Amino acid sequence: MRLSDATVVIRPRTTWEAMDLGVLLSQRHRRLLMASWAIVTLPVFVLLTLLLWDSPSLAVFIFWWLKPAFERLPLYILSKAMFGETPTLKQALRQWPRLLKPQLLASLTWRRLSLSRSFLLPVVQLEGLNGLARQQRLQVLLQRDGGAARWLTIIGVHLESALWIGLMVLFYLLLPPQVELDWSWQTLLSAATQDWRWLEHLTNGFYVLVLVVWEPIYVACGFSLYLNRRTVLEAWDIELVFRRLRQRLSGTALTLLLAAFFLVPTGQNVWADEPVITPDSPRLLDQPLTSQASRDSIKAILDQPPFKNKETVTRYRFGEDKPSAETSDDGKAPEWLKALLKLLDNQRFGTLATLIEGVLWGAVIGGIGGLIWRYRAWLQAFVSRRPALKGKVARPLPQQAFGLDLNRETLPADIAASAESLWQSNPREALGLLYRALLSHLLHDYNMALKPADTEGQVLARVERLQRPALLAFSKNLTGHWQNMAYGHRLPPAHLQQELCDGWRSLFGPGAAH
Amino acid sequence: MLETAALPRKATLSPPLDTRYQVETPEGIDLPLRPAGLMVRALAFSIDLGLRGLILGLLFIVLAFLGKLGAGLGSILLFVVSWWYMVLFEVLNQGRSPGKQWMGLRVVQDDGTPIGWSASLLRNLLRFVDLLPFGYFLGAISCLQHPNFKRLGDLAAGTLVIYREQPLTRPQLPDAEPRRPSFALTLPEQRAILGFAERQGELSEARVTELASILAQPLKVSAPRAVAELNGIARGLLGPA
Repeated sequence: MRLSDATVVIRPRTTWEAMDLGVLLSQRHRRLLMASWAIVTLPVFVLLTLLLWDSPSLAVFIFWWLKPAFERLPLYILSKAMFGETPTLKQALRQWPRLLKPQLLASLTWRRLSLSRSFLLPVVQLEGLNGLARQQRLQVLLQRDGGAARWLTIIGVHLESALWIGLMVLFYLLLPPQVELDWSWQTLLSAATQDWRWLEHLTNGFYVLVLVVWEPIYVACGFSLYLNRRTVLEAWDIELVFRRLRQRLSGTALTLLLAAFFLVPTGQNVWADEPVITPDSPRLLDQPLTSQASRDSIKAILDQPPFKNKETVTRYRFGEDKPSAETSDDGKAPEWLKALLKLLDNQRFGTLATLIEGVLWGAVIGGIGGLIWRYRAWLQAFVSRRPALKGKVARPLPQQAFGLDLNRETLPADIAASAESLWQSNPREALGLLYRALLSHLLHDYNMALKPADTEGQVLARVERLQRPALLAFSKNLTGHWQNMAYGHRLPPAHLQQELCDGWRSLFGPGAAH
Repeated sequence: MLETAALPRKATLSPPLDTRYQVETPEGIDLPLRPAGLMVRALAFSIDLGLRGLILGLLFIVLAFLGKLGAGLGSILLFVVSWWYMVLFEVLNQGRSPGKQWMGLRVVQDDGTPIGWSASLLRNLLRFVDLLPFGYFLGAISCLQHPNFKRLGDLAAGTLVIYREQPLTRPQLPDAEPRRPSFALTLPEQRAILGFAERQGELSEARVTELASILAQPLKVSAPRAVAELNGIARGLLGPA
């Protein structure tokens, strides 16, 4: 055993923490531990079952009694794994017969019911002690941690039974309903009286399965308790650090010598016998405001309202009636009790109960109502039924776009003609009239859903969706020139007048204003 | 406190097992928490269970005199005690129900902060999952197989049951002239020397000499004087008392 090879952190722990370390240890090697336990115990259980087919309870009792013999294998694995030499499954199983030899009779007879079984097993198996030496060792080990070891076994007993019953309940819950109809649980409980041997052996099997999970943990917890006890007794953690320190120092003896040489003078300064200056020692003694005075004033401020709020609470309390009632001597007590009982049997308490019941129901209903009220917006948004589509909402037609009046009535009868006549005097108005009329047509004749917020580009996109190439080309042309005019103040070329007006006439007819 | 054992010569890939759970704060400080395993938690739970049984039993005896009113109050009481006992104690008493307090445990969040209402409610509501199918079957299995000993409720709520830190007492060192080692000591080594001086009373005489003689050669003293030398260094490390 070499402490520096340990795969666990060695330090003194509290007893419960030591057990937790055992659980961790068993977790790390759970596969090996559970497999080896299952390989050893399952054949024994099957053999016992076959031999004692007619008395299932005896079979499981003998199996339970043999537990200490099985426990030696996990302990061997754990003790090897602890120092980094985890055996393989085959190696471990091969060791088992050899492990059984020492003091098997004792652990299966008079030591079988010892509550500190797992804690003391390492003394026999790992230290190989017996007789008087063992007795003395136990005395030392049990001075402390003995209680925890007993608790471990007691908790283990309860856990085993809880897991066992749990498995049975799980089995019952997983039965198909057809089978369950025939086996009500009362008949299951009275199965002992019936001829259902196999069912009893099955429940025994559950116990064996539970042990596969629990028993390695139990052994590991006992082992880690034992390790912890020895760590405390023999200061293993200190030995480990001391050895490492010696190794470090002897490895660097020369550099150390030099370092020591240089460190000595500086060290002396550090160790000079000066008064120790701490933040609390008085300073600034020659100043108008000394550190003590400033500290006092800080304390005074900290005691005032924003930092400390003192409050005096006055409450009503029951007077001194009770003690006098209690001090009444025993002879009076029954009468007093009788009076109380009579009072309680009174009709008034019945009504009080009804009253309280009413108040409680009121509180429940009020609470639910309050919750609904509190979350009404949320409920409307997420819980209410999907609102039925009420057809298309009639959207009011916009009266204006880009500040242009789209009302039909404001347009002249012959748009092309008025545009032509306007063109000479005021080309801007002429183009505006054309564009306004185009929008009005789109809105009223093509039922286009124009919104006041639409831009010219969006209007064009909508026109594109109408799939009328002629209209689209005209609209593009007109829009481009209108934008140049309106925003860029660029006059359209002269030939455009004819082109646009002709385009208008060909699209909407000569007098087509409407 | 945070010393990590140096890698053993046959260095395994996995780090050495320890029962500590490190939380690193934003300031880069490691908080070592010690998660509590199934056994101590089972005991704490039994204490709580017994206490609840006692409270309910006593109150039911009193309420039995009140007839219909008593039955109503009793069922309210049953509800409050069975659902809120743990939650109220955990949230209002720094994560400690009476059983946990007795066994030196407390519940905290995974990051070491105090447990709040939602986490406490969740972990205690999920007791009913841990209970299935009988007697904390799932909870026990989960607790035994989880590296930080969490049952399902703890997993869901992100909580951890840990051992409380016990208040530190000033160690009693054997009398010795304070000395200064002739070489620099790392923190774990200083701790080990202090521990050596503190725990001398629990160790046997022979073991103390054996431990000290490991360091006799580097200290340049004879083996029998090494104990006094180490005690002196421990005194020096502890500073003026």
